[in-house]
Amino acid sequence: MIDVKAYDFVRGPLLEFALYFFFAGMTYRFVRVIFLGLPKDYAKPKGNPLAKAVEKIALKPTQGWRFFIEVFAHRGIQYVGGFLFHLGFLGLTFFVPQHAFLWKEIIGFELPYMPQLVADILAYSALLSLFALTVHRVFNPVLKLLTGKDEYFANFLIGTIIFTGLLAMRWSGGGVYVWIITLHMLSGAILIIYIPMSRLSHFVYYFLSVFFYGWNVGKRGVSF
Amino acid sequence: MHTLYDLFKVKGYSRRDFLKFATLTAAALGLPPSMFAQFVHALETKPKPVVIWLEFQDCAGCSESFIRSTTVMPTEVLLDFISLEYHETLMAPAGERAEESKREAIEKYKGKYILVVEGSTTPKGVYCTVGGRSNYELLKEAAKDAGAIIAVGSCACWGGVPKAEPNPTGAVPLYEALGGKTVVNIPGCPPIGDVMVATVVHFLALGKLPPLDNLGRPKTFYGQTIHDRCYRRAFYNAGKFAGSFDDEGARNGYCLYKLGCKGPITRNACATIRWNGGLSFPIQSGHPCFGCAEPDFWDRGFIYRPLPVVETGFGLKKVAAGIAIGAAAGAGIAWVNKKLKGGK
Repeated sequence: MIDVKAYDFVRGPLLEFALYFFFAGMTYRFVRVIFLGLPKDYAKPKGNPLAKAVEKIALKPTQGWRFFIEVFAHRGIQYVGGFLFHLGFLGLTFFVPQHAFLWKEIIGFELPYMPQLVADILAYSALLSLFALTVHRVFNPVLKLLTGKDEYFANFLIGTIIFTGLLAMRWSGGGVYVWIITLHMLSGAILIIYIPMSRLSHFVYYFLSVFFYGWNVGKRGVSF
Repeated sequence: MHTLYDLFKVKGYSRRDFLKFATLTAAALGLPPSMFAQFVHALETKPKPVVIWLEFQDCAGCSESFIRSTTVMPTEVLLDFISLEYHETLMAPAGERAEESKREAIEKYKGKYILVVEGSTTPKGVYCTVGGRSNYELLKEAAKDAGAIIAVGSCACWGGVPKAEPNPTGAVPLYEALGGKTVVNIPGCPPIGDVMVATVVHFLALGKLPPLDNLGRPKTFYGQTIHDRCYRRAFYNAGKFAGSFDDEGARNGYCLYKLGCKGPITRNACATIRWNGGLSFPIQSGHPCFGCAEPDFWDRGFIYRPLPVVETGFGLKKVAAGIAIGAAAGAGIAWVNKKLKGGK
């Protein structure tokens, strides 16, 4: 098989299909949830739902640090690893030059992009964190029970994306490069298709669900 | 028959010039220094190669490039060195005499001559006939007893412009038309002349083809991408890009990736050997590489579109279409579900 033909297929019809599937799939999930509906709540709010919702969005990423002693100390790998992984993966998805040009085409404007050195640091930290988190899942007795094939598949896919991205950028040359970048884009396209069908949809709906959670807390007048 | 060294002498060049050519060519081919003596000796003693050069669906640009490969070999020597028994553009005979000389050469140098093909071929149809015979017929006849077959240019190697959508003549690359035979592919539009000369010289001096990759390209010249050897690579790594052809970035010589440079996926020696006697190459002159040495480059969309974008394009309209499809499907299925469960 000729590598550039595989490359053309991945960045042509496959990527286009993946993006259609992503936008349609995410909207489908949202609409299905909306149509499920909620019973009307006649109780008067005891607190300020909107303020609590905004507070929840703003504070959620820092709560591990707030409860350092009782939570962070016991789940350090999850907090440190989770933080570094999310920071790295989201940073790389949106703010490296090669991806910035792709986003420009989709959303109509170019996102600012970071220097390659910062991107490299994020990639290495995200990859190592992902590895640590996966190993933690395998050996932690509670997490092990909560983990299914979905999680392992998602971790494998994301790991492949970061690893091949790093390889393409830093380590591969000549004939191998085209295969590596094709594999990078192929795993990216599979991930884009997989997100709407899995728990990875929190990639889009995270803030919405956290907002909803905060809103309910505010309504009941309780604390987080 | 003359040897290459004889030709240098006849044309008034010194032994120093000859040695300079031989060393440069050996170095370009990536031969180890221990082989230089053997290489030089072979060029001094072996008779010059017989070449039959066929042109099919082409523009003769590869021939132009070949005769201007002056980096390593002086033009007047080159034209005598390659004993062109048949070359439609360069040979003196014409008409039936030309065809006759070709047939004679095929017969006389059976199993020894180098067949160079420029342009794509058409196994079906009657396109590009010479002397009343189809190009495919001529190709098979010449390829049958060739010592080596070299496809020069992207048309011969991959089909090139004639094979671009919708491929009206049913053009195919040489390796497809000659399925089973080893074909050396020297792609490019045109390929670098020195690469063509060096490949022929390798066959002459060492009696075998240079190491080839899985697509039949000499690894020495097509083993790395232009991006690997680009002098602007540091700007790519630093995230410094020219945004247009006349902005500050372009004036500072920043990377042309954003302007559609296909260097990262293009294997060729432009960034190392360069063109016009090693003077420059497209990226050096401020224009992005458009990947002419890779298969199907004519069908790879607009040449100024950056590589990371979706080739078929994906803007806000398509995003909206995706959202609309998802919303309609979600609402429709939710409504059907409610009906099935007897809800309102």
